[in-house]
Amino acid sequence: MASLSEEVLLVVKKVRQRKQDGTLYLMAERIAWGPEGKDRFSVSHLYADIRCQKISPDGKAKIQLQLVLHTGDSTTFHFSNDSTALKDREAAKELLQQLLPKFKKKANKELEEKNRMLQEDPVLFQLYKDLVVSQVISADEFWANRLGDTNHADPSLSNNKQEVGISGAFLADIRPQTDGCNGLRYNLTADIIESIFRTYPTVKQKYCENVPHNLTEKEFWTRFFQSHYFHRDRINTGTQDIFSECAKQDEKGLKSMVVQGVKNPLVDLLSLEDKTLDEGYGVCTTASTSNPNRTVKDSSNSAIIKRFNHHSAMVLAAGSIELAQSSETSSTDGNSRDSDFFQPPVKKVRLQETMEYEDLQGENRPKTVALNLKKSDRYAHGPVPLQSQHYTTSQEIINSVNNIRDEMLNYKPNLSQVLSNTTASSAIAALSSGGVLMKAATQQAINQMVPSEVQGELKHLYAAAGELLRHFWTCFPVNTPFLEEKVLKMKSNLERFQMTKLCPFQEKIQRQYLSTNLTGHLEEMLQAAYSKFHVWQTRRMLRKT
Amino acid sequence: MKLNIEGLLVYFPYDYIYPEQYSYMLELKRTLDARGHGVLEMPSGTGKTISLLSLIVAYQKASPLEVTKLIYCSRTVPEIEKVVEELRKLMEYYSKQTGESNNFMALALSSRKNLCIHPELLHANIVVYSYHYLLDPKIADLVSKELAKKSVVVFDEAHNIDNVCIDSMSVNITRRTLDRCQGNVDTLHNAIQKIKETDAEKLKMEYRRLVEGLKEANVARETDVYLANPVLPDEILKEAVPGTIRTAEHFVGFLKRFLEYLKSRLRVHHVVQESTPQFLKDIFDKVCIDRKPLRFCSERLQSLLRTLEIADIADFSAVTLISNFATLVSTYSQGFTIIIEPFEDRTPTIANPVLHFSCMDPSIAIKPVFQRFQSVIITSGTLSPLDIYPRILDFRPVTMASFTMTLARTCLCPLIVGRGNDQVALSSKFETREDFAVIRNYGNLLLEMSAIVPDGIVAFFTSYVYMENIVASWYEQGILENIQRNKLIFIETPDAAETSMALEKYQEACENGRGAILLSVARGKVSEGIDFVHHFGRAVIMFGVPYVYTQSRILKARLEYLRDQFQIRENDFLTFDAMRHAAQCVGRVIRGKTDYGIMIFADKRYARADKRGKLPRWIQEHINDGSLNLTVDETVQLSKHFLRQMAQPFRQEDQLGLSLLTLEQLESEEMLKKISQIAHQT
Repeated sequence: MASLSEEVLLVVKKVRQRKQDGTLYLMAERIAWGPEGKDRFSVSHLYADIRCQKISPDGKAKIQLQLVLHTGDSTTFHFSNDSTALKDREAAKELLQQLLPKFKKKANKELEEKNRMLQEDPVLFQLYKDLVVSQVISADEFWANRLGDTNHADPSLSNNKQEVGISGAFLADIRPQTDGCNGLRYNLTADIIESIFRTYPTVKQKYCENVPHNLTEKEFWTRFFQSHYFHRDRINTGTQDIFSECAKQDEKGLKSMVVQGVKNPLVDLLSLEDKTLDEGYGVCTTASTSNPNRTVKDSSNSAIIKRFNHHSAMVLAAGSIELAQSSETSSTDGNSRDSDFFQPPVKKVRLQETMEYEDLQGENRPKTVALNLKKSDRYAHGPVPLQSQHYTTSQEIINSVNNIRDEMLNYKPNLSQVLSNTTASSAIAALSSGGVLMKAATQQAINQMVPSEVQGELKHLYAAAGELLRHFWTCFPVNTPFLEEKVLKMKSNLERFQMTKLCPFQEKIQRQYLSTNLTGHLEEMLQAAYSKFHVWQTRRMLRKT
Repeated sequence: MKLNIEGLLVYFPYDYIYPEQYSYMLELKRTLDARGHGVLEMPSGTGKTISLLSLIVAYQKASPLEVTKLIYCSRTVPEIEKVVEELRKLMEYYSKQTGESNNFMALALSSRKNLCIHPELLHANIVVYSYHYLLDPKIADLVSKELAKKSVVVFDEAHNIDNVCIDSMSVNITRRTLDRCQGNVDTLHNAIQKIKETDAEKLKMEYRRLVEGLKEANVARETDVYLANPVLPDEILKEAVPGTIRTAEHFVGFLKRFLEYLKSRLRVHHVVQESTPQFLKDIFDKVCIDRKPLRFCSERLQSLLRTLEIADIADFSAVTLISNFATLVSTYSQGFTIIIEPFEDRTPTIANPVLHFSCMDPSIAIKPVFQRFQSVIITSGTLSPLDIYPRILDFRPVTMASFTMTLARTCLCPLIVGRGNDQVALSSKFETREDFAVIRNYGNLLLEMSAIVPDGIVAFFTSYVYMENIVASWYEQGILENIQRNKLIFIETPDAAETSMALEKYQEACENGRGAILLSVARGKVSEGIDFVHHFGRAVIMFGVPYVYTQSRILKARLEYLRDQFQIRENDFLTFDAMRHAAQCVGRVIRGKTDYGIMIFADKRYARADKRGKLPRWIQEHINDGSLNLTVDETVQLSKHFLRQMAQPFRQEDQLGLSLLTLEQLESEEMLKKISQIAHQT
């Protein structure tokens, strides 16, 4: 049945698939279903292939679970054990819910990476089209060593991946839909939940406090959507609401942000005006908005505005946490922490930025950052470990310079070992244009002789052939059965390439009366591969017999 | 470079110059030559400040006897600091070029904290400070009184100067003011009793001084040593303080009586509006207070506070306010109105009586400045229509000019959106203000723009209440959530600290590439003081025409006064005021020739000639007939096209010879001819 090493996490009996009874298995890396009485799986999906799971709404007669794959296909399981169907389904769902995200990330990451590589590298993309799309080799083969390459070659890149920010509109994505019978449905995905948690840490805290001991997950989110907290225009009135505290904490957070003030003095509206008129002077402007007795509508409006500012600030902060941390640690600029008071006058810098007319300035020098050092000696010497090191003293340097000078003075060409006159002149002739060794120079004319379209095609052919040959040659030395298999396949790939790509091209250039010489080198390369293959094959035959 | 401006050697601390800067300096020089005043409009970001400083400093150096001092007034603290930085740059250039160490003294006052540098002010060659130090009589008296007559005064960013003038002369009195004033008067009374027991001689000396009168001050003014104080009218300088308030006790008694009268006036149930003569007649009838002692009230109080050696004058702000009011109300029979409102219009059930004593004539506060100083320059990026400023400020300029921005590429794109895609007319006018179709279309405009404009978008609404309603409505319709898919949203609030934070986050979001939208209010702090350079503002949308709230009684009174005194029609003034604020808002995004931005006027009324014609010339000349009544879709198409063009590399060479000149280019005959067309004289 399944390979021995596979761990079975859950077994659910009496599950129908395509009107056939059977058993559902959830394994460590895949989900599988086998019909009753048979000991093989007729359905098996790797978790990584599954895009999402869907369940039939509560109250429906059939209790079902549907898996949607990345390819767009879907498989539906019907839980048919009357008494425990719902429970079975929930168990399967819960487990999948935990398992899927783990694999999803991996799959997504790989897909993204492949996509990115294809997008960034047009040559690779062309190659992909030539080889994979035209089915010369399979996609897996194509990627087999490419992805590996990048991962190994540039580990810093993959480790140092950038944190993905949060969409500003994640709440908009959960717009409720009416389900037709006076209810509302909210679509919540793992991504959205994560966004909510990252943007509103207080909600996460509440979640950790209450789920699952006080509330089920579903109840928690139901309450969340009912709360004023979610509806930004509702004013906090109820006190038993578990989210009222969140709102209060948010407000506190907002206040503390406001109290902290702004770093850029040019946007500080408080210090903008040199002098506000004394109390009592000035023309009274329209009624002050901070009036305590405002209508409910007014304060709900201002609540929306506050919430929007808060939301945007939080979204922004959630995206920049990583950055802030990294910049924190990298502030090793020779200034110790205690020199904070010696900060550059931010204001002055900003002012100079605003009054700079770069086009009026003469030379546009590249902007440099001035070092701001309080203890310049510390910067100059740095924390050097105390150890004896080899230094060349100036005396040593002077000596060696003198030595070299002496040698140069005494230099005498060794005339017995130079070329004879005739050989030298023939070498020069051979290397001059028109000479034997410079024939290639005439081939430059190919640029003009061959139409650019054919040139482009030739380039693609070279790239594709190169790729295939690379695959072929990496199989040597053939010392495993796998490689053996591969080298056979590669050879047939090469042959197929020659048949489907190279030959038509050759015919084409013949029709256009171009020199067939164009593909000569390609053919040579292929021939080299074939002969290598033959050598290997005959040797293998010999060994076998 | 060293420039020759009609025979004047001007050191200009850059290697290149914009043609309009040269033209600006030319006009400025002519104004100074004529010893007159000038009104000059030049787009922001064309180096107005450095042109001003370069020319005036050069003028001062060339003829130190003609122009002894430059008084540079600006509006906000960052602006003042910017001027100082530019000045520093100029001075460095001077000492580098001439090799002499700098013997110029410049002084900047940017906070009340450093207000006690009075003597230095007299010696400085250049003084940089806020408008209030010159226009607010209460401060001008302390700071600017003794500034030399042969000074050049520059009011930069002066498009709102009339409001500053009016603010400095207006007073509001609430019950709280009166209560605090009562406390002040009681303290004064006790202090007088105490000093009487310990140092009666002091009070007697004060009395004698007051008999002598304010002769000293009069001598000073006649000999032209002082800047006149509009609160302290000429006549009272010639007279002695009247006997009724000459002794300290009598004066306190007088104050008490005046206070009681004001309290009784605040006990009203309906709105009262009266002129100053009416008010004076009423006060005489009710409590027998004559006009004359009222006029000396402010001066008398200052004398008393000095005599009692009260250190912290701030504690006596309420009584100072009341006595200033007394002096003002008895001095000016024209240009002021008194309105007593028992409650706010929005909350008629809550009694909150306020006495508004409001100035309607900005020329009163600025008159001493025009009279005293030989040249006063009013300048800003948006001063259109130019001719209205001399009228409302009551002065005769020798030069009035508006400068265009010479551009190698059209870096601004003003578009007037008049219709939604469903052909609904877009307007913020009162009748359709609550119309959902308009609000939806406005939302749609913002949504579509958020999808195509990179980095930052700033949107301005006509008022805070209007913005609140629209935001709520957009939230209900889900428009804001869709916008959030493209950009983060930040919104101005009435709280300055909160808004500052939102602003900073907005800039952060623009900086890190996420992009953001700032919803803000015309006439608000953001619209007046914050620049959105480069990616901080690639588009600005003005939702509606920012008319002032016209139902205010104070405004109505002012409009009437303008009509009767200056023959300015109400509508003309309102439109002028709305358009200058609209221009301020949209002008926030263009801060130079390398910058670029879209300016969207989302109201069909902007298409009318009377509105459009009041925009600054440098904006107006880029509005073509094809962009007068666009739909949202058309706007998006035009914007896309514009943004694609602007995204192309723009180098210095592209500008050179067109909008950027070397010295040789500048001196060519042909260019000089071209430059003479930049200034648009009116």
